[in-house]
Amino acid sequence: MSELDVRGLQPPEPFENIMRALPALPVGATLRVLIHREPFPLYAELQNMGYVWQTSALPDGHFAILIRRAK
Amino acid sequence: MSTASLSTEQAPPISVPLRFFAIAPLFLILAALIAMMGDSIADAHTPALLAATHCVTLGFIGMIMFGAMQQILPVVIGSPMPSSRLVAWFSLLPLIFGTLSLSGGFLLSNSALLHLASVLLGLAFLVFIVASLISLARAATRNATATAILLAVLALTAAVVLGIVLAQGYASGLQLDYRKLAAAHISLALGGWVMLLIVGVSYQVVPMFQLTPNYPKWLSAALAPALFAALLLYLASNFFEVLPLGFVAEGLFWLCASCFALVTLNLQFQRRRRVTDATLNFFRLGMISLLCAALCAVAALLAPAQEYFRTLSVVIFILGFALSVIHGMLYKIIPFLVWFHLFRGGVKKGVPNMKEVIPEPWMWRHLWLHITTLLAALMAFFWDAAAWLLIVGLSLQGMLLSFAIFISIMVYRRTYQRLAKV
Repeated sequence: MSELDVRGLQPPEPFENIMRALPALPVGATLRVLIHREPFPLYAELQNMGYVWQTSALPDGHFAILIRRAK
Repeated sequence: MSTASLSTEQAPPISVPLRFFAIAPLFLILAALIAMMGDSIADAHTPALLAATHCVTLGFIGMIMFGAMQQILPVVIGSPMPSSRLVAWFSLLPLIFGTLSLSGGFLLSNSALLHLASVLLGLAFLVFIVASLISLARAATRNATATAILLAVLALTAAVVLGIVLAQGYASGLQLDYRKLAAAHISLALGGWVMLLIVGVSYQVVPMFQLTPNYPKWLSAALAPALFAALLLYLASNFFEVLPLGFVAEGLFWLCASCFALVTLNLQFQRRRRVTDATLNFFRLGMISLLCAALCAVAALLAPAQEYFRTLSVVIFILGFALSVIHGMLYKIIPFLVWFHLFRGGVKKGVPNMKEVIPEPWMWRHLWLHITTLLAALMAFFWDAAAWLLIVGLSLQGMLLSFAIFISIMVYRRTYQRLAKV
């Protein structure tokens, strides 16, 4: 599983970095994104682009998002 | 754990918030033009000053907040307003014409215009409040921001009802306790709606854009409810005329407001990137102004005979706190929106960087102009000639902001058309 840490980056860098990482994600693979806030606008984009995701709140207040291509 | 089943309705199209942002600065210019007809800034109850003040509060602050809420709700609580385009038109148009009617009604002492303003503004706020409540009820997350926004909307509802009662009272010559009603209207509109909304949005925007640590949990959980409770206490003391209770309520309110300002300044001091930009300084100016407004309000409590302390507190709150924070947020939000709406849907070449949308030197010029306008407003209490500087400053700010929004729209349109051709 590849990991992308965008915690603490200034907008729009987190969104931009995630968008840049997605095309390189092989089919069936999962990208784990670590981010400092829940990125609601990202979800709409992921859905439009055919990805599924799962978000977990971490104990330190940050979030982990698992993203993979929809089958 | 939240999952992919969350609602992912689209954020509103960029034209929705931008139409509010594009029109709002024109009301700053109109406020300045109307203020020219007034006698003295120290007496806010003259028809010209009442009209000019409502151009700033409804036409500018209200208009920006209507647009910003449409954009901010989906980002911070994951729930857009329903039918965003329809809500935008049915809140924008009545707000424009309602504000114009109200200002005209005050200026000309015209009952028909005041009646019309009540209907139009009532409609604008009804649409906006209902849409906001639906969005809040559907929120994907229950956080301190959602609580603060909910309390802000409740305060706004009461402020609007009282505003309509006041306008109807003036128009029909009813025997009302105008002083008491106006005090409650101003407290709910400024101390409730404006203050609580800025507090709630700051919880998200300050750490996100200024790269500061998060607000302490104890503060974000307790501040908005404490401000709201102080406001209710103040309203009760105002209604039942219990002076000591009013003292405690006002003291508690300004203590909470000062706490918010000091914590925000402290967070900004701890920011991870030490680069200073104009938007950060707009925010800092806003927080320092909030502290000054608190000092003036406390002085008014201790020396009730000195009426100008209270007026000074309101002027600093509106021009120094609310306007500074709004300018600071706009100069972050507008470039972000332009970038986001061009970039979404995948990586594209030729999308301008956020910093390329509105040139930074223009933001700095606006900051200095805003500081000068604010100082002129303070001097105008003691020196009539400064009122002219305030009028010129306010209209120039309206023009500068219009220019900034115009070039942002141009950057968006040009890039959008170029990308569409590729």
